[in-house]
Amino acid sequence: MEPRVAVLRMEGTNNEQDIKRAFEAAGASASYVHIKQLTKHAPSRLREEVLDYDVLAFPGGFSAGDYVRAGAIFASRLEAVCGDALEAFYEDRRPMVGICNGFQVLVELGLLPGENGAPRKGPGAALTMNENDRYECRPSLLRVEDSVCPFVEGYEEGGSVMFPSAHAEGRFVPGEGSSVDALLEEGRVVFRYVDREGRVDPGYPWNPNGSPGGIGGVTDASGTVLGLMPHPDRSVWGFQHPDWTRGLDPEERGDGLALFEGIVAYAGEA
Amino acid sequence: MSIPDGVLEPIPSDAYPEGDVQHVRLLDEPLKKIHQASEAIGWGLSLEELAAIKDHFQQKNRNPTLIEIEALGQGWSEHCCYKTSKPILREHVFGIQEDNVLARQDAGILEFDDDHVYALRIESHNHPSAVEPYGGAATGVGGILRDITCMGAQPMALADMLYFGPPTLTDDDLPPGTKHPRYLTQGVIAGIRDYGNRVGIPNLAGSIHFPPDYTTNCLVNVGCLGVGKKEHLTHSKSGPPGSLWILAGGRTGRDGIHGVTFASKELSEDSHEDVPAVQLGDPITKEPLIHACLEIIEQHLVEGMKDLGGGGLSCAVGEMCEAAGVGADIDLAHVHTKAKGMRPWEIWVSESQERMMLSVDPTNADAVREILDLWDVEHVTLGETTEDTNVTARWHGDKIFDLDPIFCYEGPEVERPAQAPPKREPGPNPQAPNAWDKALIRVLEDPNVACRAPLLRQYDHTVRASTVIEPWVGELNADGHADATVIKPLADSWKGLAWASGLNPALTKLDPYQGSLNAVDEVIRNLTCVGAVPDSLADCLNFPNPEKPEGMWIFKESARALGDAARALEIPFASGNVSLYNESHAGAVPATPSLLGVGLVEDVRDVVTSDLKGNDLVLVGETRDRFGGSVFSKIQGANGEVPRVDLDALKGLAAQVSDVVAEGLVTAAHDPSEGGLGAALFEMGIGGGMGVRVDLSQVHPSAVAAMFAETPTRWVLETEDADALVDRFTQERFNAQRIGEAGGDSFAIAHGGDRLLSLDVDAAGDAWRSGLARVIGGDEA
Repeated sequence: MEPRVAVLRMEGTNNEQDIKRAFEAAGASASYVHIKQLTKHAPSRLREEVLDYDVLAFPGGFSAGDYVRAGAIFASRLEAVCGDALEAFYEDRRPMVGICNGFQVLVELGLLPGENGAPRKGPGAALTMNENDRYECRPSLLRVEDSVCPFVEGYEEGGSVMFPSAHAEGRFVPGEGSSVDALLEEGRVVFRYVDREGRVDPGYPWNPNGSPGGIGGVTDASGTVLGLMPHPDRSVWGFQHPDWTRGLDPEERGDGLALFEGIVAYAGEA
Repeated sequence: MSIPDGVLEPIPSDAYPEGDVQHVRLLDEPLKKIHQASEAIGWGLSLEELAAIKDHFQQKNRNPTLIEIEALGQGWSEHCCYKTSKPILREHVFGIQEDNVLARQDAGILEFDDDHVYALRIESHNHPSAVEPYGGAATGVGGILRDITCMGAQPMALADMLYFGPPTLTDDDLPPGTKHPRYLTQGVIAGIRDYGNRVGIPNLAGSIHFPPDYTTNCLVNVGCLGVGKKEHLTHSKSGPPGSLWILAGGRTGRDGIHGVTFASKELSEDSHEDVPAVQLGDPITKEPLIHACLEIIEQHLVEGMKDLGGGGLSCAVGEMCEAAGVGADIDLAHVHTKAKGMRPWEIWVSESQERMMLSVDPTNADAVREILDLWDVEHVTLGETTEDTNVTARWHGDKIFDLDPIFCYEGPEVERPAQAPPKREPGPNPQAPNAWDKALIRVLEDPNVACRAPLLRQYDHTVRASTVIEPWVGELNADGHADATVIKPLADSWKGLAWASGLNPALTKLDPYQGSLNAVDEVIRNLTCVGAVPDSLADCLNFPNPEKPEGMWIFKESARALGDAARALEIPFASGNVSLYNESHAGAVPATPSLLGVGLVEDVRDVVTSDLKGNDLVLVGETRDRFGGSVFSKIQGANGEVPRVDLDALKGLAAQVSDVVAEGLVTAAHDPSEGGLGAALFEMGIGGGMGVRVDLSQVHPSAVAAMFAETPTRWVLETEDADALVDRFTQERFNAQRIGEAGGDSFAIAHGGDRLLSLDVDAAGDAWRSGLARVIGGDEA
């Protein structure tokens, strides 16, 4: 049976099509679920339950405009609307993935990076303003690290992949009680920015936001919650790679597809 | 209902009780006095127009209400009714290949494939951006998105064409009341960035120029391209009598009052006082509004839809009625407002953003409301469509507005005298430089040539994951510039749309006719570089005050050129926008017909990009030593004649280039534009991370012309088989020649026995990348 993916959205999430198509390409059945459909304010035929799904996808965008801390409003609305269901979803170890603004939401929910191996109340890290103080859209290369995240099994460990970046608040700064080194040691760093020669933690522009340690994506202690700033959902196919006219087949798999396949495979096994 | 004395001077709207209906003593006072009131209050009506309005009300045997005069001021403004431009456009550009255009309302609609259409539109937001760059530019994006959405198309790509004064201007050189070009540039870019990125529509085309002519009149032109199903094509008109008027989206506020009349006059030292005429943007109200509107259209729940733009509620209702030959009876007291105590006329003419007017059959009203509610989009029902063709607006039931929409919104047409300026001597061509490498570096650093990345990487190009060719091509983060971008709008089809812009104001300034032909030439070159077949154009015509004969003349010349070119190429103008009065106390803009072009790409897997791959280089087209308006002339303080466009050659060569690209004979393609062939070769090299070795002696006997002349209708094609490619063109009697090859890590350019330069790729790249960052701020990648 195809795993069912809920692509959560509210006003300002705007990458839902990218992530939905990515999951569909990976063999899942994906549906948009507006946060309002999780409440009694929606007509009953449109009502949805988080726990009816196998995977929760938090898309990129600017939820509620990101006029306060990015992702903060989406997170607090989710907690208000379906906080208990999210907790149960997490306890079940069902996959949750947040890309870009979705990563920011997972941090605001306290799921990433968590504390002492568990979720915490409120954010335990910050995705703060890019070092150059502005939004930028450019390709990023990421090295797949040796991590506890089961979703990246389709990638060669230590190999690098191209995911486009497009964000203003992407510099990952661990909070008190956590550090880049600790996260690396615990196998919680899933992706790190590299340059064309594969060197870790390169300067700008290969590290687009100045994240210490070049951290691009992290997972929780269980490995089932993944958040990353760059967009694997925008490099599912060859033609989405910005340099495909230099020898890539536009019809071939892009670098992002294996990540969605990994999540779908994990959800199928569970 | 008390009838007070009547309005003849600006009074605060809370100076009289909310329920009072204000009249204007048009029939009782000398026209001159009324005209003074019109100027002071901001109706923008001329003496002749007031006389015509007086005639109309004499027949009605009553004075107009204030709200009627406010609506007429808007409806008859240049911005709303195109009173000056319409007769000229009718003569030159209307009706070309009209059969290709399926609909022409808020956006132009053309066929994409058997089941789909594309929607195209470009619009100016000049005056607002000059006084409030962030808000002015942001709401420009918002407006264009609504124009595409209300036709039933999903917005797929944005574009913006921007013109500012030189960022290096010193404060002493800044005319009073003018904002610094650097401030305007940063504000406008931030406004476009924050709005476009938040609604999640990629920004994929455009241009930025920095000539001194725009110092007091910056121009901000925003375009959008959308795709929808043919069966979802929705018209900007009312349904039959009995249909409901549902206003959806943001609340109506006092922002954006007198926006169109502000846009229909010159800017002055005191224009900053007109900030209330600029609307406030809210992309997070817009984003769900787009979703909800498209859902309503997909479920066939709406009779017609129109966005509220210039002219606000008044123009939206009036034009939807006019288009359907019906009338309306609505009550303005139902409108949801931002501020308490707004007077009816303010509600009627406010240009607040994020609003859409829906005409809905009563049986579908609940389904429409359910969708709007789910997206948390506010909505109100204002009234009904009527058999009677007048538009009637009420305030708590009392009739306060009752006009024939044709009278109110069609507006008059005016003919204005045109006079060519005295003939200008073209001046001397530039001389050969002492050091060619330094000369090329100067060209590459020029703000009009330098790398755009420090500014434009702030826009999202990859959201929606359907971008096939980004604005950046070549090696990752090398920032090679694309000629045209390409999207793949449908998940299950390889058919694509190419999208490109064109205009060089240095050319239109010297010769509005030839300069405008050059703009068309540039768009066509850009589209064909990726192998697209040019399919339509959209024009945003920015011109100075037409009440001055010279301003009128350049408008006519430019329109004549656009018509001549489109007819020769057999391509329609899908939609257009006219912005006049781009003139201030300190000068006027040159003719600025910003063009966006759309090309059809049969199969996106066949497109090519401009970055070199390491093969032979072929130059297609004739090079001539006309340097007028060229970057090299500017640097040298020289000039020369504006290059001329041969439309027959353009048509023939464009078709050939599209073909050879689509057939796979070409590995890279780029067109020489600003900076000439020298800059073009560099631009191809920087994307490919390699240099070139070329000899330009066969290009033109003069090395300066070969390097830096900006002759139109030329392409540089990279190919694995130069002989076959050259043959292909020469068989059709077009000029084509192998000039050298790509590769190595330097630009080695010779002219016969003269080695002109050998420039390291990285050193040249550094100069090019730092050009804009240095003068505007921001990092170089």
